[in-house]
Order: sequence, then structure tokens, then C-alpha cells
Amino acid sequence: MFHIKVSMFARTKSLENKIDLFHDKIIDAAMTFKKAIRVFLSEKRSEAYRKLSKQIKTIEHDADALRRDIENKLYIQNLIPDLRGDVLHLVENLDKIVNKFDEVTYKFYIEQPDIPAEYHSRVIELCEQVSDCAENMAIASRAFFRDFSTVRDYSQKVYFIEHESDLTSGRMLEAIFDSDLPLANKLQMDLLITEVADIADIAEDCVDELLIFTIKRDI
Amino acid sequence: MDLSYFIFLSSGLFLGWSLGANDAANVFGTAVGTKMVRFRTAAVISSFFLILGAVYSGGGTTETLTELGNVNALPGAFMVALSAAASVYWMIKGGLPVSTSQAIVGAIIGWNFYSGKATDLSIVSKIVSTWVICPVLAGILATLIYFLVRSLIKYSKIHLIRQDLYTRIGLIVAGAFGAYALGANNIANVMGVFVDSAPFQTLKIGQLTFSPEQVLFFIGGLAVSSGIFSYSHKIIKTIGNGLMRMSPIVAWIVVVSQSLVLYLFASEKLEAFLLANNLPALPLVPVSSSQAVIGAIIGIGLAKGGRSISWNILGHIALGWIFTPIMAALLCFISLFFLENVFNQVVYLP
Repeated sequence: MFHIKVSMFARTKSLENKIDLFHDKIIDAAMTFKKAIRVFLSEKRSEAYRKLSKQIKTIEHDADALRRDIENKLYIQNLIPDLRGDVLHLVENLDKIVNKFDEVTYKFYIEQPDIPAEYHSRVIELCEQVSDCAENMAIASRAFFRDFSTVRDYSQKVYFIEHESDLTSGRMLEAIFDSDLPLANKLQMDLLITEVADIADIAEDCVDELLIFTIKRDI
Repeated sequence: MDLSYFIFLSSGLFLGWSLGANDAANVFGTAVGTKMVRFRTAAVISSFFLILGAVYSGGGTTETLTELGNVNALPGAFMVALSAAASVYWMIKGGLPVSTSQAIVGAIIGWNFYSGKATDLSIVSKIVSTWVICPVLAGILATLIYFLVRSLIKYSKIHLIRQDLYTRIGLIVAGAFGAYALGANNIANVMGVFVDSAPFQTLKIGQLTFSPEQVLFFIGGLAVSSGIFSYSHKIIKTIGNGLMRMSPIVAWIVVVSQSLVLYLFASEKLEAFLLANNLPALPLVPVSSSQAVIGAIIGIGLAKGGRSISWNILGHIALGWIFTPIMAALLCFISLFFLENVFNQVVYLP
């Protein structure tokens, strides 16, 4: 009997750690992405950028493995039956953010867009905003598991930063299409900027659902 | 031992079976319905603790029922229990949150009328007042526990997964306590009227000694257990699927409040302790677990702002208070007439 209780606590602890690790991966991906874009803008497709791109790929793989593990454990151990659907949905949405970081970093690596120097600061600003958005989303989600009364605070930050990133990307696209750059170049930058801004949009969608899940989480 | 005793006891056993099928669902229903606890685990734990509660703490409420009406002939006891069981069955069919406690009280009063024995109105008012106090007290307790648990979750910042584990353990412990309290409080409904005519002798098993009353309660407990194993899963399905949709933590609060109320109205030791310390003690009276559950749910509903409460259910409870005992009394009175005059049975001793 004692052994059963101990193993129950050990299993619970292990799953808690996995959920925490999964959130760490989102923050890792966001931080690495910020760093990678700075490196790309100064060095283009350098060895350093390739390494950072690979690092994000590894984070994405790890996050996928953790997501599957969390989902399996929730079902196999029949945990949180009333909130399991919500938690699975949340974890899958968070995984989409990590996937998007990987996708964008890889696109920069493959397409090697030619970004004129006058746009660098705006690109960095946008990338920092979407990364902050993702980080705050991860913190809000972590709070959902431990301290759900603070979910709203972090969610508000996500909404604010997402709005800021929309403004930044809008201003940048306006400037790009007003410039004398070749159309092919303009269209390529448009696609990449939209992809980057999408990260904040995904985070915003996650927060919308998270706030609903939080209402259900309250007893 | 006379076989006829067991034939007459069958109505009490049937009442016990229906108590197990219906009321045990109040103890573990939501835990099983929300898949927090498996049915088999719930059935084994609730059966064990229910029998334990019945055998060790069932005496207190039985005394009160005996004071109300000392059913002194076995065929009479048979009809009292059968009338109560039939009333419970019909009230369930009518969709009212019925109580075996209210049915048995009505049936005993019916027997009193038929046998010409006086009904002590002070006992009746004591019993009826507990029917009202029971859901109110459960509601108050549930509200207090709800705020306490809510604050605890907010300030302790327990991880959702760990909270799930604690809730599961809590549901099992509360369910065990609830089953014990149900056995202690409600066994009088099932076996109380048969105590006087019980042919059992004192039983000794090792260091343990069981009085004839306890042996009878053990048999009643087995009948209740059979109801739990054979039919309660059907009632649990209803509870889990809609009647009481709530989170597992709220389910735990409901079970704890209901169990505490049942225990308060059943524990002789607690009563003695309160009286010894010059504190007001609650009378030892069988109360309705279903109505305690409803009281607890309404309490929590009010604590949450009162938006999700169906106030019609309060009217249903009040109807149950009136119709169940009246129906049981009438049914018992008429049936006793037939049993005495058509089947030539002695239904009371002068």
C-alpha cells in the first residue's frame, strides 16, 4: 500500500516536471529565435546561424516528445478527467508556437532574404515582440497549472504585445512597399514578416482559449 | 432460528437494498461519474465502511425510531418496512429526492395509528425539525468548506496534477467516511423496526463481541451492500451525466459536508461529548443523505453567486417532507389491516 502511494506521488512529480520542462522549451525557443535573427541580420547564413537554427530544431523535437509524453500520461493514468481535454488543447497550441519558431528560422536559413540595413532595427523589434509574446504565453500557461489567479495578468501582456507587433509589422510592410526595392524582394520580405507576426497571433489565440480554461479551472 | 423471521425480514432487506442502490450513489456518485474513482473501488470501500458504521454506530438513531413507535410484532415490522420501501419506490418514480428516513417515520406513525399506540408529538417534532436542519446544515458546512478550499488552492499554488492526486485521495477518504456515516445514520431505517423481534444471540469472534442488535445491523448492512454492487452504478450514471455536474473538488466538498451532517445526527460519542461540555447536541435521528447532498450543492451554488441554482428543487424537497411520510403512513395503515384480517397475522402486541 505504501509502495503504491509512493509510486503515485513519484508519477505525479514526474508529470509535473515534464509540464514544466515543456514550458521551458517555449521560452528557450523564443530566446534562441531572438538571438538567431540578430545573428542572421549581421552574418546572414553563417555557421553561427546554422547552429542556432539547429538548436531551435532540437528544441522543437524535444517539445514534440514532451507533448506526446504528457498527452499519453494524462490518458493512460486517467488524470484530471474534467480538465484533460482543455490541457491537451493547450499543450497542442503551445507546441504550434514552437513549431512556428522553427519554421521561420528555417525559412530565413533556406531563403536567405536580402534585408536592407534600414529595416534591421524594425525586424529586430518585431522578432523581440513576438518572442516576448510567446514567453508571456508560456508564463500564463504555467500559471494555469500552479497559480491560475495570475493567468489574467500575463494574458493581458500577451494581448498588449501582440497588438504592438501588429503595428510594427504593418509599419514595416508599408515602408517596404513604399521603397524602391524590386517587387520580388518586397514580396519575399512580406511573406517572412507575416510569418514572424503569425507567432504573436498564435500566442494570442492560445491566450483566448486559456482564459476560458481558467474559468473552468476555478472550483 | 425460525425461517419465518427471515421471510418477514425480507421487506427490511429490500429497503436496505434500495438504500444501497440509491443513497450510496450520493457518497461515491460524482467521484465515479467523473472517472476519478473506479466503480469497483468505490463499491468495495463504501460497502466495508457502511457495514462498519451500521454495526458500530447504528444504535443511536435506532433508539429514536423506537421511541417514536416500538413495533413489537414481526409481521407488523415487516409491513412497516415494506410500506416504507414501496413509498420510496413510488417517490423515486415521481422524480422526488426521496428519503428512506422520512418513509420509515411515516410508516411507523401509520403502525402507531393502526395499533392504537400514542405517537409522541415531541419526538415527531424533533424528527421533522432535523429534516429541515439537515439540508440547511449541509449547505452551511459546504459553503464554509468551499471558501476554505478555494483559499487553500489559491494560496498554496499546488500544481494541477498534484491537486488531482490529492482530490482523488480526498474523494476516497471522504467516501469511506460518508459510507460509515450513512451506515451509522440510516441502518435504523432498514433494520430499526426489527430490533425488538430479533432472534439473534450475542456473537463472540475473538476479542470482539457483537450484540443481537449489531448482528441484525450486519445483515442489514449486507443488504445495503448488495444494493451498492448490483444497482448503484445505474444511479451513479445519472448523477455523473447531468443531475449534479460539478468539478471533482466540489464533489469532494459535497461528500464531506453530507457525511459530516449524517455523522452529527448519528454519533452517540459526539453527542455525549457535546453534552458533557454543556454544548448543544443534535438529536440522533436518521436523516436523508439525498437532501443533505442537495443542501450542500445549493450552499456551494449560493457561494458562487447563485446563478446556477434550480430553485424548483427546493420545492421538491419540501414536497418530499410532506408526501413521503403521509404516503408511507397511509400505505402502512391499509396494509396492516389486510395483513391482520386477510392473512391472519398478529401485527402488534397490545
